[in-house]
This record gives sequence, structure tokens and C-alpha cells, in this order.
Amino acid sequence: MPPLTPPKSGDALFASVDRVNAELFTLTYGAMVRQLLTDLEEVEEVNKQLDQMGYNIGTRLVDEFLAKSNVSRCVDFKETADVIAKLGFKMFLGVTANVTNWDAEGTSCSFVLEDNPLVDFVELPDTCQGLQYCNVLSGVIRGALEMVSMKTEVTWVRDMLRGDDAYEMRVKLIKQVPEEYPYKDDD
Amino acid sequence: MIVCVAVVGHQNNPLYLQSFTEADDALKLHHIVHCSLDVIDERVNNPKRSAPTLNETFLGLLYPTENYKVYGYLTNTKVKFIMVTTDIDVKDADARNFFRKFHAAYVDAVSNPFHVPGKKIASRSFGSRVSTIVKSFGAGTTV
Repeated sequence: MPPLTPPKSGDALFASVDRVNAELFTLTYGAMVRQLLTDLEEVEEVNKQLDQMGYNIGTRLVDEFLAKSNVSRCVDFKETADVIAKLGFKMFLGVTANVTNWDAEGTSCSFVLEDNPLVDFVELPDTCQGLQYCNVLSGVIRGALEMVSMKTEVTWVRDMLRGDDAYEMRVKLIKQVPEEYPYKDDD
Repeated sequence: MIVCVAVVGHQNNPLYLQSFTEADDALKLHHIVHCSLDVIDERVNNPKRSAPTLNETFLGLLYPTENYKVYGYLTNTKVKFIMVTTDIDVKDADARNFFRKFHAAYVDAVSNPFHVPGKKIASRSFGSRVSTIVKSFGAGTTV
């Protein structure tokens, strides 16, 4: 049997993927949000679209993540959250998040991001105060976890564009969906 | 002591105007800024043959009036930064340094996806950064 390769650390993962200029990424995301605002006009609609886009990205991203990072199955949700915060965020955004505020049952936690490359240079104008600018990130986490059989709900608690000191998302595990086999056994 | 800074777009439309003294002089300062635009246009359209053409960004002392000195800086997109100061003796290096920091703050403000190019700069953090740069301008010369 070939020896199993050990899972890579966050920095090694980040170094092994192709990278893009951070300003290009930030400006592209900003232009996309602006265009959505022009097309949809309603801030709530834009929030929903960003979440949907994030969901679509997340469902595809999780395969790439698992392929490149070689992590083994996580034992519980705590480990999943750690893996997302340290390896997932590092690999795709280049920053690590901290996992805090676990609730009593261990099904709900917060990811805290001190610095977020999506929001460099951004200041929300007064007409768009309800906009969740980073909603795509919550969609990505929801989509990715759904592909590995966990239904979750992700909400934003703190947002630096609204004056808070960090970005905090609350991830709540609703249920673990067991894998369903598409074929019945007795056919 | 810097009394006024201004950012003027390439069609001579004002993008940002901030004065740092009591309000009664504000109109006079705006007028001075306006007049200095003419001087800039003149410098840009008739470059002195002897002047080096490489570093065209810093235009230097535009013209001294009775109490003020006006400095100009031109970006490659024809956006002009104007600085009005009451200091009697301003070192060239200080002025260049000021404009360099101002340019960096301007670039960050313009990179905001919600900023519409050609409209006034509405960013609050740009305003506070400019205030900091203006305050440190005076301090640099005394140290």
C-alpha cells in the first residue's frame, strides 16, 4: 500500500495553490457587488444573490479543498470548524480565522476574521447600509458543508463595514444528513 | 501650517475641498485654488524645455500670494492635487512627501467600489487620513 500523505499545514497549502493578485481580486469582487446593486436595486435582493453565488461556489470548492489538503474525515463538528478556519480560509483567501463562542452542545460557533481581503478600500455609502458585503463567504461555507452532509445556517454577527472591530460569522449546524444511496438494495 | 487641500479632476471639476482654518477664510481659499488651476494648465501646456520631463508629477510652487504659498501635484490621469500653506519656509522634500502620502490616500479612496469616478469623494476615512497627513506635515518641519 502506498504510504498515506499527511495533511498539509495551512501555510504549505497556501504556498502550493496558484495565487492571484490581491488587489485584482478585491477590485473584481467590488465591481461585481456594484453591478449587482445596479441590476437588482434592492439591497435585500443583492444579499440573497450573493449568498446564492457563494453557495454555488462552495459546492464546487469543497472538492478542490479536500483534494489538495488531504485532510482525513473530521470526527466532529468542532474539528470541521477548525479545519475550515485554519486550512480552508488560508488556502482560498490567504487569511486564517479564529473559532470562538462554542455553544453548549458544540453545534454552533463563530468564525472571527481580523482582516478580510474582500473588503480592502471599501466604504459602504449611506444608501446601502443594509448590504451584507461579504455574504458570498457565508454562502460558500453553507454550500461546502452541505456537500459533506451537514446542513448549516450561517449569519453575520459583526461587520467591520458597519463599524465593528472584526468580521464575525455564526455557523450553526442544523443537522447531519446521512448519505443516501440512490439505489434501493432490494432491486 | 496647511490651510487648505483640494483635489481637482481632469475636467477641472472639484472632487474634494477641505480647509483647515476658521470658516471665514474658506471662500478666499477656494478662490486661490481656482486661480492656481490656471497656473497648472499653463505649466502643463507649455513645458519648459530645460525642465526634466521624467518626474512631471510634482509641479512645485505655483505662485506665492500675500500670505500663502500654493503647491501643485499632477497625477498621470490629469487629477490635480493643490495644497495651500502659510508656512514661510517649506522644504521641497516635505512638500513632495506630503503629496506622496496624499496620492496614496487618494488611490485608496478611489479604489472603493462605491466611489463613482468624476463625483466628489465622499469617503470619511479619506477625510480623516488627509487630516492626519496635514497634521504631520507641520510636525515634520519642526523636528
